[in-house]
Amino acid sequence: MADRLYDLIFICMPTTPEEEVAKIVGTLEQTASEHGGKVEKVEKWGTRKMAYRVAKQREGLYVYLALHSTEGNLIKELERRLKVTDAVIKYMTVRLDEEIKRQQKLVAHREHRARRRPRKAAGPGAGPAPAAASGAGPAPAPAAEQAPAS
Amino acid sequence: MSEQQSIPRPSGPSGPREGRPSGPGGGGPPRRGKRQYFRKKKVCRFCVEKVDFIDYKKVEMLQPFVQERGKILPRRMTGTCSKHQRWLGVAIKRARNIALLPFATEL
Repeated sequence: MADRLYDLIFICMPTTPEEEVAKIVGTLEQTASEHGGKVEKVEKWGTRKMAYRVAKQREGLYVYLALHSTEGNLIKELERRLKVTDAVIKYMTVRLDEEIKRQQKLVAHREHRARRRPRKAAGPGAGPAPAAASGAGPAPAPAAEQAPAS
Repeated sequence: MSEQQSIPRPSGPSGPREGRPSGPGGGGPPRRGKRQYFRKKKVCRFCVEKVDFIDYKKVEMLQPFVQERGKILPRRMTGTCSKHQRWLGVAIKRARNIALLPFATEL
């Protein structure tokens, strides 16, 4: 099945000890591997102020995970676990692969256009226009144009 | 109605007068008549920096597009292009969900 990329952020009570957080992350990683997923990255943002009160707390311990999954059920299971865990006061999962795909497409499109444009300008113009555009002077401009061609 | 009154408009959020009925988005052409002020043409900040993905985790990047009370600033004030405003809206809403940005600032 399609490999999907998710962001999973959860917030713990600010009073949660380090080991507790490590334990939660550990169980999540284990669950992920059991369901054909993989936790790529774990970031502990530490205690930071929340924009609004959650569970009567103004601060929270943020933990961020980036994970791959081939199975939608994994997310369901992870969220169930987070819901059951007392120390976790808020969590959110975002599916990101489609946006990243779109981003890559845009980058590719831009590179394609950037590659096409100088050749187009050099073709009919063949004179002052590209030289003036490069600005740095006549000497470096042709060298730069020749480099990708060779 | 009285166009003249609405011209020396303070910058920043200031109530219902902000809703200009028409005109091209952002810094339109200066109105005819007395040239009392000069409006700079606004450009989309994300287009200038060639941003392809607005990350909801970067709060400091989203903050300038949110009012103090937590509202998303309209395009006509920030000059963001429609594509990036759409992405920005999604990013801000995600950030709100995980308490990185407020839905509304409590008093």
